[in-house]
Amino acid sequence: MNILRFKFTYNSIPRLAFVLPAIFFLCSCTTTEIDEFRQSPTAISFDESIVILGRRQNNNYETEEDFVTCVADVVSRGQNSISVVDEQLFLDAMFPFFEPRTAPMRTGHLEQLMAVDVAADKLEEFGIEYIVWLDGITERSDQSGSISCTIGPGGGGCFGFGTWTDDSNFEAEIWDLDTMSSVGSISTDANGQSYMPAVVIPIPLIARVEANACSGLGNQLKQFINGSGT
Amino acid sequence: MTTSLTSISAHGALKGFLLSAILLLTACSATTINISGTFPAPLVQKLPLTVGVFYDDAFTNHSFIEINDNTGDDQYIINSGSSQIELFNTMLPAVFEEVVQLDSIDSANALNGLDAVFIPGIEEFQVGLPQKTRLNVYEIWVKYNMRLARTNGDYIADWVMTAYGKSPEETFQSVDAGVNDAANVALRDLAASFTLGFGNVPEIKEWLRSENFQEE
Repeated sequence: MNILRFKFTYNSIPRLAFVLPAIFFLCSCTTTEIDEFRQSPTAISFDESIVILGRRQNNNYETEEDFVTCVADVVSRGQNSISVVDEQLFLDAMFPFFEPRTAPMRTGHLEQLMAVDVAADKLEEFGIEYIVWLDGITERSDQSGSISCTIGPGGGGCFGFGTWTDDSNFEAEIWDLDTMSSVGSISTDANGQSYMPAVVIPIPLIARVEANACSGLGNQLKQFINGSGT
Repeated sequence: MTTSLTSISAHGALKGFLLSAILLLTACSATTINISGTFPAPLVQKLPLTVGVFYDDAFTNHSFIEINDNTGDDQYIINSGSSQIELFNTMLPAVFEEVVQLDSIDSANALNGLDAVFIPGIEEFQVGLPQKTRLNVYEIWVKYNMRLARTNGDYIADWVMTAYGKSPEETFQSVDAGVNDAANVALRDLAASFTLGFGNVPEIKEWLRSENFQEE
């Protein structure tokens, strides 16, 4: 059992030439932390696939479809890419076994599902080796500042300043369909502060929090499943 | 002349402006939302039954009116009847060996070979809009009354099912799209519960056993 920890910091500097020098000091910044927990060795061959599914049974939130798609894109592209079955295609083909109310919550439920012939046959047809469950949310907090906009016959403009913090917390749990067990999990915590100064026009300096969480989690997941994550 | 519009938080400036414009444009009339969507056929083993299905007018033309809390006027008219029919017409042939659509309940007697008649109905329909609930999701909750009867009209089972669907609110998303997405999730939820739970309704389980209907 290994626990690995990675920490990345990204600074994005605005490219607009007319932005005041002071704004460079306030440039948006994102910190991403990724933790990996491995329980068993993993490997995948070129003719096998994985599917990445969002958890949507929670009352307060549901894992965004866009985030699931983003992670799937990262995993299925670049070096050591892995074939990923489209989430909606999988949900429709496996209907009604992976709906919010019926999806297996634990690997024990997966065993029960695999006992249903039509479900097991369909999973085999897809050639799926691993199921990855994504669960998490991006929350916005610490919003402050204000911007006033004025318009008249001679023109218009805005003046003011706004800022907010985004915090993305996601966890990926990986299930092995051969052993019907959890082989590990990867969690990511990304946060960053965005700024929007407005001098005539609002200039958004957006921290790419969720995008960084997606690329960090996707790349780590790719390494994990390929067996090079240890 | 210069007019100060407003002073608002930076993040919500554009959203607030668009919302105000939309509210002004739609203040005087109810918005009609026609639920539409496609549903996958459930992946289950069929029961060896020939079932007649009857959709009454209330079900076929189901419509829900959401009232504006401030004015008391109709705010949204949500028509879900055609989607309900589409869902059941996709779901039932996947659950039963053969499905026959009936024009009336009485016509079941004239048809040979029917094992039972299925009559779905909607008892309650509720919608949760972000502007009212202050949650960042659109929600739909539906309470169904399902009935399975013999061809002579005697009930085999009469049971209640609920369906719930939610869809996260997205920037620049229309209310129509949010409600439609939540309704589609709710309809899928119903189909999932129905297909996996039909044989577990106690009265139906007993009837299947007594009539020697077994899964293929």
